[in-house]
Amino acid sequence: MTTTQATSTGAVAARIDSGTKTYGQGDTEVRALDGVTAEFESGRFTAIMGPSGSGKSTLLHCVAGLDVLSDGRVFIGDTELGALNDKDLTLLRREKVGFVFQAFNLIPTLTARENVLLPLLIAGDDHDEAWFDQVVGILGLEDRLTHRPSELSGGQQQRVAAARALVSRPAIVFADEPSGNLDSKSAAELLDFMRRAVKEFGQTIVMVTHDPVAASYSDRIVFLEDGKIVDELHDPTPDSVLDRMRQFGA
Amino acid sequence: MIRTALKTVFAHKLRLALTAMSVMMGVAFIAGTFIFTDTIDETFNDLFDDLFAGQDVIVQGETEIDVGFSGPPPMDAGVLDLVLAVPGVDAAEGSVGGLAIIYDKEGEAIVPTGPPTIGGSMTDDLRLAGNVELRDGRVPETATEVSIDAKTATDNNIVVGDVVKIQSPMEVAEYEVVSTIGFGESDNLAGATFAGFELATAQRLFDLEGQYSSIVVIAQEGTSPDLLRNSIASVLPEGVEAVTAADEADAQSEVLSESLGFLQTALLVFALVAVFVASFIIQNTFRIIVRQRQKELALMRAVGATGNQVVWMVVIEAIIVGAVASIIGIAFGFVIAQGLTSVLSAVGFDLPSTTAPLATRTIVVGFAVGMGVTVAAAVLPAIRAARIPPVAALQDVDVRLRMSDRRRTIIGSIVLVVGIALIVNGLFGDILDLGPLNELTAIGAGALMVFLAVSMLSSLIVKPFAQFLGWPLPSIDNLTGTLAIENSVRKPRRTATTASALMIGLALVAFFFILGDSIKASAGAAIEEGLRADYVINVDGFSGGFSPVLGNTLDEAPEIEATTSLRFGFWDRDGSDEFLMGIDSETVDQTIFLGVTAGSTEILGQGGVMVHEDIVDGEGWVVGETIPMGFATTGRQQVELVGTFTEAGVVQANFLIGMGFYEENFKGVGTDVDFVLAVKAAEGVPGETSRAVVEAAAADYANVTVRDQAEYRKSQEDQVNQLLVIFNALLILAVIIAVFGIANTLALSIFERTREIGLLRAVGMSRRQIKRMIRWEAIIVAIIGAVLGIVVGLFFGIVVTAALGAQGIDVLSIPAVQILGLVVFGAIAGLAAAMFPARRAAKLNILEAISYE
Ligand SMILES: Nc1ncnc2c1ncn2[C@@H]1O[C@H](COP(=O)(O)OP(=O)(O)O)[C@@H](O)[C@H]1O
Ligand SMILES: [Mg+2]
Repeated sequence: MTTTQATSTGAVAARIDSGTKTYGQGDTEVRALDGVTAEFESGRFTAIMGPSGSGKSTLLHCVAGLDVLSDGRVFIGDTELGALNDKDLTLLRREKVGFVFQAFNLIPTLTARENVLLPLLIAGDDHDEAWFDQVVGILGLEDRLTHRPSELSGGQQQRVAAARALVSRPAIVFADEPSGNLDSKSAAELLDFMRRAVKEFGQTIVMVTHDPVAASYSDRIVFLEDGKIVDELHDPTPDSVLDRMRQFGA
Repeated sequence: MIRTALKTVFAHKLRLALTAMSVMMGVAFIAGTFIFTDTIDETFNDLFDDLFAGQDVIVQGETEIDVGFSGPPPMDAGVLDLVLAVPGVDAAEGSVGGLAIIYDKEGEAIVPTGPPTIGGSMTDDLRLAGNVELRDGRVPETATEVSIDAKTATDNNIVVGDVVKIQSPMEVAEYEVVSTIGFGESDNLAGATFAGFELATAQRLFDLEGQYSSIVVIAQEGTSPDLLRNSIASVLPEGVEAVTAADEADAQSEVLSESLGFLQTALLVFALVAVFVASFIIQNTFRIIVRQRQKELALMRAVGATGNQVVWMVVIEAIIVGAVASIIGIAFGFVIAQGLTSVLSAVGFDLPSTTAPLATRTIVVGFAVGMGVTVAAAVLPAIRAARIPPVAALQDVDVRLRMSDRRRTIIGSIVLVVGIALIVNGLFGDILDLGPLNELTAIGAGALMVFLAVSMLSSLIVKPFAQFLGWPLPSIDNLTGTLAIENSVRKPRRTATTASALMIGLALVAFFFILGDSIKASAGAAIEEGLRADYVINVDGFSGGFSPVLGNTLDEAPEIEATTSLRFGFWDRDGSDEFLMGIDSETVDQTIFLGVTAGSTEILGQGGVMVHEDIVDGEGWVVGETIPMGFATTGRQQVELVGTFTEAGVVQANFLIGMGFYEENFKGVGTDVDFVLAVKAAEGVPGETSRAVVEAAAADYANVTVRDQAEYRKSQEDQVNQLLVIFNALLILAVIIAVFGIANTLALSIFERTREIGLLRAVGMSRRQIKRMIRWEAIIVAIIGAVLGIVVGLFFGIVVTAALGAQGIDVLSIPAVQILGLVVFGAIAGLAAAMFPARRAAKLNILEAISYE
C-alpha cells in the first residue's frame, strides 16, 4: 500500500521511514501512525488528507520535529531528527522549517512586521529586505505591517503567518489546516499564495487539510487512514479529490 | 456549591499553594511575634515566681511615681528592727542590690549584651534567698569574699577558691570566690550575671551604707502572708510599704511584660506590613483566577447559577485557601519566633530559649487575619465575576470587568491626598489634634493609604514606565527583551499590583535608609560641633554603666583638664516617661557645647532643670517658673526652670539637671552610675600621652571603651547601622512575600500565555530564550516596584526627617548609593522570582502548548 516511488526528479526535502507513533499503553494504546513511509520532494506542494483522527497532524508534527516517533526515522534534508537533542531540534525548526497552524499563529504583543520576521528575530539574524518586501507584497500586507494581530482579520492573520513561514526561506513549510478557520474567499487567497510560493520561489510545502478544495491547490495528495498511507493522488482537482474520497467512503 | 469550590481548589493545587504561601507568611509573622513575646513573658513570669519562692512579705520603699529603669527608693536600715518586732515574723533580713561586673581571668568584663550585670547582698538565712541555692562552698562572710552564679563560673572556668576582679559603683577590687550559686534548676537568672556579697560589703559597694533596698520576711508557721503584711504595714514609717511576695512577683513580671508590650507592638507593625503586602498578592491572584475562569463561571450562569452563587463559589475557595494558609502559618510561627530570637541574638540581645507556648489568642488572631485578608481580597473579584454575562460563555470574548481609568484616577488621587494629609498632620500635628497614640495610628493609616493610592495610580503609568525602564533592553536582547516589555504592560493593573507589593517593602527600607542616614549625619554634626572633650568613655551594649570612680581617678591626673559625667534617668512628665541627663555642671562647659541661651551651667549646679529651647517655646514656659517633675524615689516636685539650651546632640536629652540634684533623686534606683564620661585633656599635653593616661585609668573598667571624637562618632553611627540591620531584617519577610507574588503572578500569566509560548518554541525559540524573556519581564516588574518604592520611601524619609528636626535630627541625608542599590536589589529579586516560572515555561511541551485551549 505504501507509495515510495518518486514522481519528480527533485531532491527530497523531508522523509519519514516506517514511522510509528503510539499513544498510551495496553488496552488504551492508540496507533496514531502505523509504519508510515513517505517522501516530500523539494519544490513541491504536498497535501495530507484523511478522516478526522487518521493521524494527519501527528504525521506533520513528527516530520516537523515537534514530536518524536515511537519507532522509525524522520529526515529533514540529510538530518535525522531522532539523533537531535532539544537544542538542535530548536535550531532546526528555526532555520529549516516554517509553520502555519490552524489558529493562534501570531504573538499578540508583536506587530505584523515583527511576527513575519519572528524566526529571524529569534535567531538574531538580519533579514533580506527585498525578499521581505516581495513576500509581504504578494500577500498584500504592506499597509498592515504596523498593526497588532488583534487589529487584523482572520485572513490577514493567516497571511502574516504564511509570510513568517516563508521569510526565512526554510527548507520546508508545514501547514496544519491553515485555511480551516477562514471564509472561502480568504482561504482561496491564502492557498493561492501558497501555491505561488511553490511555483515561483520553489518553496516546499506540506499541508494537512480535510477540505478537498484546499487539497486541490497541491501537486500531490497523500491519503491517510488509521495511521497508514492508503493512497496518493497527483495533480489533483477538486473533483478528482472528491472522487477519491468517495471511493474511500470518507 | 461547596463541592464545586473544593474541586477547583484541588484541581489547582499549585495555584493554591502559591496563593496560600503569601498569606501563610504574613500569618506566620503575626503568630511568631505572639509566640516570641509569650515565650519571653512566660520565662520571666517563672523567673519571678522562683525568685520569690518561700518568701512571704517584702518591705520596700514606696513610690507613687512609676517610670522606666527605676526600682523603689532605698529605706533606712532601722526599719528592720521594726519588722522583726512584729508578731508572726519568723525571719527577716535586709538586702541591697546594684551594678556589679565580674571580670574573667584575662581581665575582660563578663557582660551579656541583653540581660543585666547584677550585684546584691546574700542573706545569712538561706530560707530568705528565694530559690537561690549554693552549688558548692559557703556564703560570703568577709569584705573580700563573693558568690557568683554557676553559669558565669563554668563559662569562664572560675572555681571556688579563685580570685576574681569585680567592678561595683564604688570600686574595682579583687574577691575570693567562696561559692557558686544556682537559681532552682537554672544556673543563672535569665542570662544575667550575679555577684553576691556579704551585706555590709554590699551596702558599701552600692553606696547604700545604713540602708536597705528591701527587707525579705518569712512568716511563722500558721501566719498568713496577707495578715502578716497588714501587721507589718501598720508599724512601717512613711515612705516604706509592705507587699506580699506573691504580689511583688506579679508586679515585677508585669513591669517586664509592659516593656515587652512595646517590642510586641513594634514586631506586630512589621507583621502587619507583611500581611498588607500579602493582601496585594492574594487580590491579584483571585483577580487572575476569576479572569481565567471567566468562561467556566459564565457557563455556570448560563445553566442557571445565580450571581450570588458565583460570588459564594469564589468566596468559599478563598475561605479554604485562607484556612489552610492560617493553619500552616500558625505552625510556621514557631519558626519565625525562633528566627526573631536569632535576629536579636545576632545583634547582641541574648534571650533565654525555652519552648514557646501556643496561646488561644495566637490561634484566634492568626485565623482572623489569615481568613479575613484572604476573603476580603477575594470579595471584589468575586462580585465582578458575578457580573460576567452568561453569554460570555458562548462567545470568545474577554469581558472587561475593571474599574474605568477615570474612576481609578479620581479614587486613587483622593486616597493619595487623604493619606498624605494624615501623615503630614500626624507628623506636624498642627491641623487636627489626635493625641500622641492616635497620631501614630493616623500616620500608619496614612502610609497604608499612600501605598494603596500609588498602587492604584501606577497602573495608569505602568506602560510608559515599563517602556522607559526597558528602553535599553531591545538593544541588549532584541526579541526576548521586546517581548518582555510588551508582556509586562499587557495587563497594566496586574503588573502595577505585583510591583506595588514589592514597592511597600522597599519603600520602608528606603525610608529607614534615609532616616538612619539623617540620624547619623545629624549625630555626626552634633558631635563635631558640640563635643569639646577629647575622649568619650562609655559602655557598649544596651544596658548598664560604669563606676563613677573612673571619673574621680581621671580628675586627679595632671594630664586631664576636666571630666564630665553623664547619667541618665526617667521621670514622670504629666503621666508619661520623659528622659533626662544628669551632668557635672562645673565641667560641662569645658567638655560639651550646650548652646545655652538663658541661664547658665553654674546656676544649674545649684539645682533646677535646664530645658531645650524648642520645648520651652512649645510649652510657653518662661525661665524662672517651676515645672512639675515626678521622680521614683522622691515623688512629685516643683523644679525651677533655670535655663535653656539649643544643642542636645551630645547630651542626647532635652532635660538636664546638675549632678547634685540627680543624686538626690536617683539614689539607689540602679541608673546612678556613669553612663558617659567626657574627658578633656589639659592644654599642651600631646594626644598620645593623654590617651595613654585615659586608657590606663580605664584599663580596670573592662566594660568601657575609650574613644576619641572620630571614634565616638563612628560608634554612634554603628549603633544606627545596627538598628537598620534589625529593621531591614524584619522587612525581609515583606520583601520575600512580594517576590513570591511576582513569581505567582508570573506563573499565572504564563499559564494564560501557554499557546503563545508553544508557538514561540515551534518557530524556533530556544528554552534559554524563553527563560530569558520571562526573567526580563520579572526584572522589569521588580524594578518598577523598586522605583515606586524609592519614590514613596523618599517622600516618607523627607517628611519624617523634617518632623524630627526638634528631636535633633536636623540634617537630611539621602544615601544615594544605598538607595540606588535597591534598584539592583529589585532586579535580583525579580530574577529570583522568575526562576521557577521561567523553568516551567521553558519545559512546556510544545505540542500540548499550541493545542492548549
Ligand atoms: N497527545 C495524544 N495523546 C493520546 N492520543 C492522541 C494524542 N494526540 C493524538 N492522539 C490520537 O492519535 C490519533 C491521531 O490524531 P491526529 O494526528 O490529531 O489526527 P488528525 O489530525 O488526523 O485528526 C487520534 O486517535 C488521536 O486521538
Ligand atoms: Mg489534526
